[in-house]
Amino acid sequence: MAILLSFDIDGTLELGDPPGGVTIDMVRKAIDMGFIVGSCSDRPLSSQRRMWASLDIEPDFVASKHQLGLVRAQFDDADAYYHMGDRDTDESAAKENDFGFWWHTEAELEPWLELVNSD
Amino acid sequence: MARAIHWERNEDPVGIWEHRGKVVLAGAGHSKNTDRRWDGVSMDRTLGAYVIEAARAAMDDAGISPEDVDGIVTSAGGQPAHMSLGSQWGPLRPFFDAPYDSEDGLTYVTAEWIQKQMNLPNVQYTNSHGETVWNLIGLAAQVVGDSRCEVCLVPYPNGNIEGRYHQNPSLEARGGAQWSNPWGWGLSGQGFVFDQYARKYGTNHERMAPFVVQEHANGLLWPYSYYAQHEPGPFTTEDYLNGRWIARDLSIFDCDRPVQAGACYIVTTAERAKDMKQQPVYILDHTESAFTPRSLVQTLDDTESWTDIQAKRSYAGSGLRPEDIDVFAPYDGFAVFTQYFLEAFGWRGVKRGEAHDFYADDITLKGPNPINSGGGNMGTGRMRTVFITDPMEQLQGRAGDRQVDIKAEVAVTIGVLPSNAAALAFSTSPD
Repeated sequence: MAILLSFDIDGTLELGDPPGGVTIDMVRKAIDMGFIVGSCSDRPLSSQRRMWASLDIEPDFVASKHQLGLVRAQFDDADAYYHMGDRDTDESAAKENDFGFWWHTEAELEPWLELVNSD
Repeated sequence: MARAIHWERNEDPVGIWEHRGKVVLAGAGHSKNTDRRWDGVSMDRTLGAYVIEAARAAMDDAGISPEDVDGIVTSAGGQPAHMSLGSQWGPLRPFFDAPYDSEDGLTYVTAEWIQKQMNLPNVQYTNSHGETVWNLIGLAAQVVGDSRCEVCLVPYPNGNIEGRYHQNPSLEARGGAQWSNPWGWGLSGQGFVFDQYARKYGTNHERMAPFVVQEHANGLLWPYSYYAQHEPGPFTTEDYLNGRWIARDLSIFDCDRPVQAGACYIVTTAERAKDMKQQPVYILDHTESAFTPRSLVQTLDDTESWTDIQAKRSYAGSGLRPEDIDVFAPYDGFAVFTQYFLEAFGWRGVKRGEAHDFYADDITLKGPNPINSGGGNMGTGRMRTVFITDPMEQLQGRAGDRQVDIKAEVAVTIGVLPSNAAALAFSTSPD
């Protein structure tokens, strides 16, 4: 089962500004488990790429927050799509593009693990 | 505290400023750090702490001691209309309990607080009612010219706190706001004006990219820039073109990023500056303007009319012509503002509707048209002070890697809004 996880950065990831509760270790673990992982943020695309490069992580995608639909089109063979973030703009973008949505506080609990466990 | 003085030069004909060339910028200082926001806890990173740091740096820059300062003119909250920082952020919240329940020194920095905290024994004149930094320098220049004080400390705090800028917690709106507020504060209006501009002159939002990208590049060369300190990588055309719309025709990358920083300037007489450390930058003029839209929302016609009036007023007050201006720094708090100021002032011969052609030409630092050589707010964060410091340093020849290759003897800077602006003219010469 191919599941796509889209991470907002600021307020969501631990190295965001402000820092969020989703750790990079959680992200690495998701990648290792075969999730399709990338970022969808209001940060410039080049800034997102630099962030991932600084972590020695090659994301499957980077996108601006309003471009979740493009991400979905790029990975149209995935079975499920989830975005997580800390703003109403995150929630709106997820709903508009038929993504599941987790608030940053929910994402800290790695709810994607349940998706695998229940598979 | 002095307040009620008629200092603004906002009634035409303004005439040549009576203190033209007799008042100078003699020093500048900035807080070492530019933060994204104040955390509400760290007392060494409040606006007050940063203003003190900046004031000390400015006095060092000018080569003066606390005993030399006899005036303080500040904008306590750094906001237009004397508003405090806290009143502009939402949701509103209390800060500290009594007896520490004053915002003074935290998100609001009055002249009296500065005088007390910095032990400035000879201050005779204080004024905390300046507005944004252009008006503030104009006010200080006027009070020094009018001999209300001789060596004036001019701190400018500009901060950011948790919450969302101009988020309005109210559930109702009255008057014209009932039509515009549902679309967001200010933002939809600026997108609307830009859309009118694009339709009128046959251009589009993508043609803003060269300007915003160049501003980011310039800003990375300013050590106090938020981006230089925290996000030093290049900002690209791809980045700009992929920005999320905040309102139609206004991208998130047209909006400056609020930050937390302090700056301070020394304004004094040309005579007194002879004993100071830096080459003085002569203030040729200050002029101000304030307008209200003719209808519910600001239109392109309003915007062009207002900026035309301000530009003519500035030229009349300084005696300059467009071709006299070497360094030009028009505000960009929304990046779309700059084109209105540029076209009104006619810098480099740019006429109405030609700004985007101008941006497409060579606007690099080392080229012939280095507009906003300091990087503006887009390249430095929402401090606004680069619009004073960069022209000052360009004229003094100490802008370092930002130093333009063109002649830098006369500068004009203008901000904050097309509807509420002040223009300052600087020169390496009093004449």
